[in-house]
Amino acid sequence: MISKEANVKGWDWTISSRTKWWGWDFKELWSYHHLLTGLVRREFLLNYQQTILGPVWILVQPVITMFTYVLVFDKLVGIPTGTLPPVLFYLSGIIIWNFFSDSLGGASNTFRENAHIFSKVYFPRLIMPFSMLVTHFLRFLVQFIFFLIMIGLYVIFGGMPVSFSIWTLFVPLILLLIGGMGMAFGLVLSVTTAKYRDLGNLVPLAVRLLMFLTPVIYPLATVSEEIRWLVLWNPLTPLFEAFRFALLGEGTFTAIQLVYSGVCTVLLFMAGLMVFNKKGDKLIDVI
Amino acid sequence: MSEVVIQVEKLTKHYRLGTIGTGSLRQDLQRWWTTSVRRQEDPFFRLESADGNTAPSDKNNLWALRDINFEIKQGEVWGIIGQNGAGKSTLLKILSRIVRPTSGVVRGKGKISSMLEVGTGFHPELTGRENVYISGYILGMTKEEIKSKFDEIIAFSGIEKFIDTPVKRYSSGMYVRLAFAVAAHLEPDILIIDEVLAVGDADFQKKCLGKMREVSQSEGRTILFVSHSSQAVVNLCDKALWLHQGKMKDIGSAHEIVSRYINSIQKFKLSQSWSTPEEAPGNSQVRFSYVKLIPQLGNPDDIMDIRVPLTVKFGIWNMADDVMLGFGLHLYTYSGECIFDVPSPSIVCQKGLVEAECTIPGDFLNDGSYYISIIVVRNTSVALFTFEECLSFELEDYRGPIQWFDKWMGAVRPKLPFRVRQTENVFQ
Repeated sequence: MISKEANVKGWDWTISSRTKWWGWDFKELWSYHHLLTGLVRREFLLNYQQTILGPVWILVQPVITMFTYVLVFDKLVGIPTGTLPPVLFYLSGIIIWNFFSDSLGGASNTFRENAHIFSKVYFPRLIMPFSMLVTHFLRFLVQFIFFLIMIGLYVIFGGMPVSFSIWTLFVPLILLLIGGMGMAFGLVLSVTTAKYRDLGNLVPLAVRLLMFLTPVIYPLATVSEEIRWLVLWNPLTPLFEAFRFALLGEGTFTAIQLVYSGVCTVLLFMAGLMVFNKKGDKLIDVI
Repeated sequence: MSEVVIQVEKLTKHYRLGTIGTGSLRQDLQRWWTTSVRRQEDPFFRLESADGNTAPSDKNNLWALRDINFEIKQGEVWGIIGQNGAGKSTLLKILSRIVRPTSGVVRGKGKISSMLEVGTGFHPELTGRENVYISGYILGMTKEEIKSKFDEIIAFSGIEKFIDTPVKRYSSGMYVRLAFAVAAHLEPDILIIDEVLAVGDADFQKKCLGKMREVSQSEGRTILFVSHSSQAVVNLCDKALWLHQGKMKDIGSAHEIVSRYINSIQKFKLSQSWSTPEEAPGNSQVRFSYVKLIPQLGNPDDIMDIRVPLTVKFGIWNMADDVMLGFGLHLYTYSGECIFDVPSPSIVCQKGLVEAECTIPGDFLNDGSYYISIIVVRNTSVALFTFEECLSFELEDYRGPIQWFDKWMGAVRPKLPFRVRQTENVFQ
């Protein structure tokens, strides 16, 4: 949108029909960082301001889901969770899966939900998906702290050994990769679902199915060797296992699998940015 | 002179109507297969030939803008006028970087902010205060900027008391005032405004116009302004661009372009009449039978210039007995300023036709376009009906021996007694 050669001829900016795969103006993006924090603030105010329980709602959903999973998958189906208490096992899976799927969903709705704003005012469109990512990260952070408290309770009252290790330091990186992958998928989907409405109906279903191919409700160790490839192609799998290993001390992954996840995330993220950059501007005519 | 801040070159925006581009994956895949893989013609759309000679009347094509070229200098205030569908909003959307042109280039200097809608980014659930911040951010302000101007914004909007109330409880007027107040405190180099003044009460409109004028004059800000109010364009803008069906029809000083535009959209009405009261304009008490403007021409082929006296004649059907009726004749310039409001004497009327006549003397009005509204008044106090813009006409210029060729100033050009004499001779 803002081409560099324009500066040479004495103009600050030019608008033409050409869109580029690359050409992010990070300085411009940064100049809108107040908008990002404002949008995050708005999201929280809208969701929790006029409710009685307020931010407690952030915890209600994962806790209830956790109880359901414990009831169904542990008590009824009897999926083994290794030496880990089922409560912590499921809670850990639920909060990072939610972080992934919320980041994905938030970014994928960028054009459909903001069409009325995008058609009236210009700002770097990327601000919107980033604000969703930050919002969901903050929400995750609250759940994460709750999860740490739960670990503490189990350690103190349940006699569970403390299993923090050098890998615990990798938790921020793991979260970055999970959020990045969610947003990367979301960016691609935001463009494609805005253009092809049919896909919009498919996305929630696909995300739900993907959950069963990710070790959320079962540990990778319980998957038999013959069908483990079904789960291992998924770049999320090593991240989930590593997350559990880093905090709970049990998880199956190798360093190479983690590198695979990292490379996948970076490539997907770049592809997402490119599609968003190239096609996003032209979408306003269509949506 | 001041430098050019926006340069628009051969700007064209083309929309394909119908099924094209409306989002069917199957069609896009089919198109991709035939055009990219099999290298054949687009099955859904024939691309226009390279010289762009495709008939614009083709029902699948819409040329929202075609070959627009202009330059805007720093500090100028531009009005963009044209009928619905002329491409005004498309042009503003391209300039504000919301949509991409099909071809052509816009080059510019400085920070640009646009206000194509009142209250973009406002959320009904949030308080006025929160909304000021969020919409300020969306319009490109920084936190510090908003903070430093917050009190000013609130004072301008005049809703101090309700600033911590969710805007969903605001009246629509309050909402608009707050939203405009934020935008009015933007400090871009170029400000783009679309139709926003159409909302809000008259006082607030004046305040906004005043603020905009102040800003453009004192701070050298460039403003682009689309409005249906030709009065606002004349009052506010130096220059105007007239778009017609996506093309540039005319460009120049706001005054000239607006009067040309108005002349073109409204044919002059020198007389109107109705044969039955049922279809005539009016209400249950009075209805107009006819209105006529009769120029007192010496010869029917003479042109109507400023020397010609004009007789306004009209008749109304009076529907009630024993009412005292009088009339008022309002003469307006085409830009909407009232030149005069002349009352008639009132008489007691019975049911039936009431006729009236008034003559505007020659050598009184300036050249230009005018329209007349007639108001019917009962008991010299109650306005029964106003027939707006019932007559319109144009007076040609006549200067006689005067060799002054510029536009003659003023709304009227009366021939007043003007004595000139020499009283002393200083040269010995």
